[in-house]
Amino acid sequence: MEEWRFIDFGLVDIRDMMAMDEAILKADEGNTFFFWTPKKSIILGYFQKAEVELNLSRCRDYVITRRISGGGIAFSDDRCRQINYGVVGTIDNDLFPLDIIESYKQVCGVLIDTLIHYGMNAAFRPINDVTVDNKKISGNAQTRWEGKLLQNGTLLLDFDIEEMLRISNIPKEKFLDKKIASIREGLTWLDRELGVQRDMEEVKNVMKEKFEERFNVKLISGSLRRSEIELTSSLLPKYYSSEWTYR
Amino acid sequence: MEISKTKQGIHKSRGGLIRSFVTLENGKIKEITISGDFFLFPEDAVFLILENLKGTPASRESIQKNIEGTYEKENIQSPGTSPADFTESIMKALEA
Repeated sequence: MEEWRFIDFGLVDIRDMMAMDEAILKADEGNTFFFWTPKKSIILGYFQKAEVELNLSRCRDYVITRRISGGGIAFSDDRCRQINYGVVGTIDNDLFPLDIIESYKQVCGVLIDTLIHYGMNAAFRPINDVTVDNKKISGNAQTRWEGKLLQNGTLLLDFDIEEMLRISNIPKEKFLDKKIASIREGLTWLDRELGVQRDMEEVKNVMKEKFEERFNVKLISGSLRRSEIELTSSLLPKYYSSEWTYR
Repeated sequence: MEISKTKQGIHKSRGGLIRSFVTLENGKIKEITISGDFFLFPEDAVFLILENLKGTPASRESIQKNIEGTYEKENIQSPGTSPADFTESIMKALEA
């Protein structure tokens, strides 16, 4: 069976994590599946402007940066009950289809299999969401680089929706087509759906198993290699700069 | 450009929200900025879309044709979002 590298970065500063994320995509050290949990932070999508999308005067105690993929803000409160994942793989076969939506569907399948394991009615909602009973529980973002794809996403275990609404400027156009009166009706998280708090490490292990099953690979724990560490160091100033975040 | 002083056009495509900010000079686009949670590959082609729109007459037809031209030249893919969606957002900003 093919072996892929697995890394759990644990609780991280998102500026460091976004630099490592880009380095894993671009350093060419092989297919990798990784986890992290962000400290209190906001990550803007590539095409989002901070002053438009955020109520900046309410974001002063958040670390803010931008990622290299599109999509919407990834908000993390200080409860730190979010599993974030990354997949880097070569687009060369059925595992990572060339078609963008098909490749989202393939990777999101890992999350769906995990949620089904916990008895939930999980489904893929194109283009890039995973839902439980039509409520979003996971957002995902993908980019591509020289024949490889990077997909990042989050599985919400707990979520402070009121805090997200307080710090962001989400217009009604965002959710009106989903036939809901507010974002509150369109989001959910694992703790709420299950009525109990699952241990985060246990949920990660289920995700790892489901990943191995779906991709028919064995995950081997590893760490960043020298080329990735060097690339990360050279990328860090970008993720810490206001030119990148507030452009 | 000063976004806080510019009217906003909002349009939701299947691929995400597109918010446009546009200023005009003699009926042509002078400054333009976009913010949104859509996806577009390659990502940095968004700056070419915006750059190429400067000087374009502020009509739906001219704007859409201009964006389509950049899409073709740069081989842009944007799942769930089309040049017509960007045009719609920009037109809403102009009509705001």
